[in-house]
Amino acid sequence: MVQLRPRASRAPASAEAMVDEGQPASEEEEAEHGLLLGQPSSGAAAEPLEEDEEGDDEFDDEAPEELTFASAQAEAREEERRVRETVTAPSRPACPSLYTILEKLTTASQTNVKKSPGKVKEGNDSKKVKVQKAQSVSQNKSYLAVRLKDQDLRDSRQQAAQAFIHNSLYGPGTNRTTVNKFLSLANKRLPVKKAAVQFLNNAWGIQKKQNAKRFKRRWMVRKMKTKK
Amino acid sequence: MGGRRARRRAANGRQPNLPPPSPPPRALPAHFRLCARSTSGAEPESARARGAGAERGERREGESAAAGMGEFKVHRVRFFNYVPSGIRCVAYNNQSNRLAVSRTDGTVEVYNLSANYFQEKFFPGHESRATEALCWAEGQRLFSAGLNGEIMEYDLQALNIKYAVDAFGGPIWSMAASPSGSQLLVGCEDGSVKLFQITPDKIQFERNFDRQKSRILSLSWHPSGTHIAAGSIDYISVFDVKSGSAVHKMIVDRQYMGVSKRKCIVWGVAFLSDGTVISVDSAGKVQFWDSATGTLVKSHLIANADVQSIAVAEQEDSFVVGTAEGTVFHFQLVPVTSNSSEKQWVRTKPFQHHTHDVRTVAHSPTALISGGTDTHLVIRPLMEKVEVKNYDAALRKITFPHRRLISCSKKRQLLLFQFAHHLELWRLGSTVATGKNGDTLPLSKNADHLLHLKTKGPENIICSCISPCGSWIAYSTVSRFFLYRLNYEHDNISLKRVSKMPPFLRSALQILFSEDSTKLFVASNQGALHIVQLSGGSFKHLHAFQPQSGTVEAMCLLAVSSDGNWLAASGTSAGVHVYNVKQLKLHCTVPAYNFPVTAMAIAPNTNNLVIAHSDQQVFEYSIPDKQYTDWSRTVQKQGFHHLWLQRDTPITHISFHPKRPMHILLHDAYMFCIIDKSLPLPNDKTLLYNPFPPTNESDVVRRRTAHAFKISKIYKPLLFMDLLDERTLVAVERPLDDIIAQLPPPIKKKKFGT
Repeated sequence: MVQLRPRASRAPASAEAMVDEGQPASEEEEAEHGLLLGQPSSGAAAEPLEEDEEGDDEFDDEAPEELTFASAQAEAREEERRVRETVTAPSRPACPSLYTILEKLTTASQTNVKKSPGKVKEGNDSKKVKVQKAQSVSQNKSYLAVRLKDQDLRDSRQQAAQAFIHNSLYGPGTNRTTVNKFLSLANKRLPVKKAAVQFLNNAWGIQKKQNAKRFKRRWMVRKMKTKK
Repeated sequence: MGGRRARRRAANGRQPNLPPPSPPPRALPAHFRLCARSTSGAEPESARARGAGAERGERREGESAAAGMGEFKVHRVRFFNYVPSGIRCVAYNNQSNRLAVSRTDGTVEVYNLSANYFQEKFFPGHESRATEALCWAEGQRLFSAGLNGEIMEYDLQALNIKYAVDAFGGPIWSMAASPSGSQLLVGCEDGSVKLFQITPDKIQFERNFDRQKSRILSLSWHPSGTHIAAGSIDYISVFDVKSGSAVHKMIVDRQYMGVSKRKCIVWGVAFLSDGTVISVDSAGKVQFWDSATGTLVKSHLIANADVQSIAVAEQEDSFVVGTAEGTVFHFQLVPVTSNSSEKQWVRTKPFQHHTHDVRTVAHSPTALISGGTDTHLVIRPLMEKVEVKNYDAALRKITFPHRRLISCSKKRQLLLFQFAHHLELWRLGSTVATGKNGDTLPLSKNADHLLHLKTKGPENIICSCISPCGSWIAYSTVSRFFLYRLNYEHDNISLKRVSKMPPFLRSALQILFSEDSTKLFVASNQGALHIVQLSGGSFKHLHAFQPQSGTVEAMCLLAVSSDGNWLAASGTSAGVHVYNVKQLKLHCTVPAYNFPVTAMAIAPNTNNLVIAHSDQQVFEYSIPDKQYTDWSRTVQKQGFHHLWLQRDTPITHISFHPKRPMHILLHDAYMFCIIDKSLPLPNDKTLLYNPFPPTNESDVVRRRTAHAFKISKIYKPLLFMDLLDERTLVAVERPLDDIIAQLPPPIKKKKFGT
């Protein structure tokens, strides 16, 4: 029976996506995250990574070692366990997750804005955030998290989302009709057909009607003057 | 002079942005036709003009239901262009039998279904907040998430937003609380599903699940909390909660047995305890999947348009789905044959109560709740679940607001209309003609749109008020309070804003001016009641009554007596508090009643406080005597007529006649009534609604049928009705057709022969 390999987890990509707004500057941070989040549940998917690295190192010199499958697998598992222990145990308190960094950044920027003197208009708080430096607390101070102007990004995402909803509900391919036609269906099926519900279009020819009214007024005035 | 955002309007009577013309009434009522024939040439023009939907006020003389009520000239106003926002999400809470409803403008309303479906609280909307999901968690906590990427918790006691947490995943499309109520799952635009832990005072991010390719549009927990189903575009994933990885990915067909270019959007998923996942999608299908194997079990094609929502009952023997055509289908688990144990899901009932998309449905133990773009909230009790088959089992359709959006200045005949982001001030027209009962009188001066006041900022207006003399306008949003002074010179009006409002006045729930316009009463959402003295162009904060004990049951309502001595405030579980304004202390408390107050007013000379509750009970309490009046006791002993108690809509305004202390004028959305305390009360056998009997009836008959409740249903649907002076009434109507005419496009229905 074929044992299907479970899908490689896409979590490392999510870490990068979240990092749109705040960019952790250090690479080791990123690598740790990649390793942390990218741990697949079984060792089978981790194997190719390890084996590839070993293969590259020894390629130039000689033929690679002949290893049995079981021993290679056991080695890979031990390596993985070692790495996990060294990475997870001590570093968790010192290296906060990306989410907490982002949270601290947002609260720091909000307090900075609040401290600014004068009456800041409440609705424009986040728009005024240009570049806010927030020194994240870390035991070795190895990175600096900087928040750039992001309200536009948020707005554009929200607009894109609303455009998606609008397209899927009212866009091309949907079978929509006007309210007038919808309500007039009943009128058209009666034994004595009636007019549509919004039969009159009062918005037709507004400019023409206004011109006519003005002209009439002026003509009346002229008529009165000549009569006198 | 004048505020930057206020535009002065000349005497034209037209609205600034002309809405699409409202349709003519389907059938002109009999009295209109009569007067069109009988009066002069000018008359039909005004009747027809109304018919074509021009926004004009018209005077119309009408007589109240029986002789002795007097004759009134009625201003019939139809130029309040009120369009409610569509309903986006509903969430039903079983323990407290409450329904939270969120609308497209960001407003969240809480309805108490046991208190006659009354809207007791609401949280005002915000322009940037596009709520897409709403859910209740353990301990009566209400959360919402939207396209601005934030999860918000609402404080139902303080009536404000506790906090907003950014999920950092982009716009949030869906949210579900775990069956235990202690965890919250959120589906985001970037395809990630995030798990949050609900702590006593906040929510905390726990972890991410495996990220998917496209946005997660719907989520559902398995009742045991071990798995979740997430619906996306063209596929459904089943996740294992503990590991966070996707166990199955089930591909959804784009079209029922066909090929289609349009992507199939899975609008809703539901996870049953036997492992079945029910999905509804934009191709009009309801599909049953087996989550253990990840395969499709059954597929139903129920509509030609999207099926947009699904809700499962707690016992998992029935569920309800809503389609974009406005139809709501009920599915039930039914035995295959009458004595077999094998059951299958069968589509049992269709309900067509909506004209537009049904974006959300909910299933309470006894009723199906649906709401959508056509702004109605429909609650359909299921006959097989209802124990007592009385009027409680009838269909409830909530369309009109349960609070007042209009205030009136009687001296200057002005009306202030409150919209979401602006206020409009209109002056009523006038007429010099007279006529008899049922005539429509021509206007000598049209109604005048005086002011269009836009609010600054993205927040919605919570409440507004105009002083009785017409010189002050006040309104409040969540973060600010605005007070304007109006000056009238000849026919012009100028506006001046009073700056530097104190911060404690913001987020006011109710604003009221005293009769002489010298004092302003503000009920803030923290429970405190502020009294502000107005003089000339400035104000001075006089006093603040601190919140009394008792939980906040409903939004605070205020009433002030015409001599300015007494102020009544409702809203807490302790009852209605009456304060002595001159001595600035609490005078008495009306005993608590278990239904929320919908309207309150204090009578002019007798200082009787009249309170209307959501179960249609009306009480009269004498403030000087600190007890219920004799008339009130008589009414309570006899009880109200059963038809009075069966009315659907709450009483939203009570007023009095200055010269007739025995009359109380009150109205709800479909009737207005003058209660004459000197006449006998009706018992259940008498006819409640008895319009003016024909004059050829004998006096005996007339006396037998006359009773205290004079009801008129001429003007409906009524948003506001008040007595301007002794002989004039104003009735603001909002025909349903005018609302429907401004809704987004519905799905096309192909009918044979059209």
